[in-house]
Amino acid sequence: MTRTFDRRTILKTGLGVSAGLAVSGRVSRGLAQSPVKLTMAVWGGKAELDAYNQVITKYQAVHPNVSIRLDVLPSGQFYQQIDTKLAGRQAPDLFRATYQQVGRYAMSKAAVDLSQYIDPNYGAAFTPAVWSAVTYQGKPYALPHHTDTFALFYNADLLDKAGVAVPTSLDQAWTWDQFTKVARLLKEKSIGSYPFAMGWSANAVHRWMIFLYQHGGRLLSEDLKSPQGGSPALVETIAWTQSWFKDGLVPPSTSLKTAEPTQNLFANGTIPMMLNGNWQIPFVDQQAKFKWGVTYLPRDVAMADDMGGTCMAVSRDSKNPDIAADFLKFLVNEENMREYVSSAQFLPVRTSLVGSGLRFPLRSDEMKVFIEQTKTIPEHLVGTVIMPTWGKFASKLTDELDLAFTSGQSPEQTAKNIEAHVKGILLSA
Amino acid sequence: MADLSMISLRERDETITSRISGWWRSSRSRLTPYIFIAPNLLLFSVFVFFPLLYAAYISVHQWSLIDTPEFVGAQNYTRLLTDGQFWQSLKNTVVFSAATVPTSLILGLMLAIGLNRHMAARTLLRSIYFLPVVVSSVATAIIAAWLFNDNYGVINAVLKQVGVGRVAWLSTPQWALPSIILTTLWVRSGFCMVVYLAALQSISPSYYEAAVIDGASRPQQFRYVTWPLLRPTTFLLLILNVIYSFQVFDLIYVMTGGGPGFSTTMIVQYIYRAAFANSEMGYASAMGMVLFVLVLLFTVIQWRINRRTEQFV
Repeated sequence: MTRTFDRRTILKTGLGVSAGLAVSGRVSRGLAQSPVKLTMAVWGGKAELDAYNQVITKYQAVHPNVSIRLDVLPSGQFYQQIDTKLAGRQAPDLFRATYQQVGRYAMSKAAVDLSQYIDPNYGAAFTPAVWSAVTYQGKPYALPHHTDTFALFYNADLLDKAGVAVPTSLDQAWTWDQFTKVARLLKEKSIGSYPFAMGWSANAVHRWMIFLYQHGGRLLSEDLKSPQGGSPALVETIAWTQSWFKDGLVPPSTSLKTAEPTQNLFANGTIPMMLNGNWQIPFVDQQAKFKWGVTYLPRDVAMADDMGGTCMAVSRDSKNPDIAADFLKFLVNEENMREYVSSAQFLPVRTSLVGSGLRFPLRSDEMKVFIEQTKTIPEHLVGTVIMPTWGKFASKLTDELDLAFTSGQSPEQTAKNIEAHVKGILLSA
Repeated sequence: MADLSMISLRERDETITSRISGWWRSSRSRLTPYIFIAPNLLLFSVFVFFPLLYAAYISVHQWSLIDTPEFVGAQNYTRLLTDGQFWQSLKNTVVFSAATVPTSLILGLMLAIGLNRHMAARTLLRSIYFLPVVVSSVATAIIAAWLFNDNYGVINAVLKQVGVGRVAWLSTPQWALPSIILTTLWVRSGFCMVVYLAALQSISPSYYEAAVIDGASRPQQFRYVTWPLLRPTTFLLLILNVIYSFQVFDLIYVMTGGGPGFSTTMIVQYIYRAAFANSEMGYASAMGMVLFVLVLLFTVIQWRINRRTEQFV
């Protein structure tokens, strides 16, 4: 029997095939056929940029029709440039962001909801803290790439000279009192120009929150919907950090607004101790001409550390969001994440890599200290700093703490002002 | 018929052409200046006038740059009245202007008079004083930040040699603003010097010869010949310096970031913070409009005073 097709059937079939091709083409168009150009905006040092380029080269080898240009922007003006490009509808296809910024981009839909490009269980492969950081109203707006955290760098030669032994395990970490005593001892013995410095940097006042949580305080209530209010922990934490400046334990130039790169001061021997992140290891390793190591952050009633690190988002201006999302998944897959964090000295965010005994090319023992410190990051702190309104809190917190550190504003007044700002921002939000 | 219609079309074309050329002949002298200024006017419109109008529009909206603007009426302007930090930054700007404008004019004039005389290495000295003006202001600020650095700066190293202790130049409220003022004077006195030098060289020597014949001393020559003839130059420099002082940004952004506290936060610094740190483009635009009106008012007042003084002269 011979089957014949009339014109209507052929037309219906043709339309069906076209529609099918259009849907499937949405995903495979660029991957298989026409040339596609993507731009990825990042900031970073040489090790990070080399690591990004390595992943790009690998991806382009598999997808020869896709070319990805790395747009390196200065870290200080990074968000200003991204926001301006978004306002002009000319944002790069992909952009790097700290976890603290994701909420802002998600709320304004400047970043693309990635749930359409990933499996429903995709997030289970990442540590819960970072996955919650990239999620807004139940949908992921970025994919976690790596994390970093803080610990205490020390000049072993100078500490030996002062007869100071550093803690060798997390449970032996110095208390605030012990840490202050060590700092005062170094000052008395005139070892270094100042005993230590904290590595604040632009837009990173959230690092001060480490101390607030160590002292049992917080800015917001348990549900993050109202100010904590009335807690003596806030005043006491401000007073403790203010005493670093008042008592000459840190260089005056290392406050929040006039933040001088503390890694320079550490590497040239001006300060024997520095509170800073794991990404400083390559710099210190290259510049310091003395024996140095890393030990645990001081603690008070609790241990606490900061959740740093960055993720990557697809911008709403991308003409090829499907391909950008595909590259993004490639960037954060297990193999590429392992290579990136190993070569750039960061910490992984895939659960399969966290406890896998990653090998780092530089200072593996010191990196273990940072990995251990990640266990002390409070969940509530993460919830606070990833709120879309965090940028506004951060700006006011910077102002008030800088006034306390450099201009003699009392801890009580500073706490009062911070609480008023928090209340105002929550109300306006 | 075809020939006739062709002729009438040609006549019509000729009439139009002669009308246009007649109109051009009669209007040429009137239109030529506008044609000359048209390129500048176009650039002014694109980069100044339309952005100004857009800023006025944004100033009555709430906008974070990455979302949709929302109309809020005069809310941003009323907020300014109760914003203590805005008034503090305005006060800082006025103090900074009061310290830098007259001083850089006086220093520039002194340098110009000194370097207008025949002396050894005159050209070299002029170049040295003018150098900070041609160097990028960010580069100047970085150099100044190194000079004033608390921990390894040259100034503290020199002070240490003469037995003076370390001074936290950029880290304490009492020293940060003076350090920035000194750096500004370093840059701006060179600029004033060059402009004054050009003005001094354009004064005819015959005026001084006449003054000498009349028995005028050196100070009298300055008082009655040089100073009145420098008045237009002084007026120009005054306006330019006030505008520069009210719009100072890069030097402070690099050297202190507006700190310690708010001690070096100028109005443009505060506008920048509102726009890009707090994502409040509407509020930042409202402050920008206030700054625009302030500078405009000052310029108009100065212009009127100068015109009245010139009439008396």
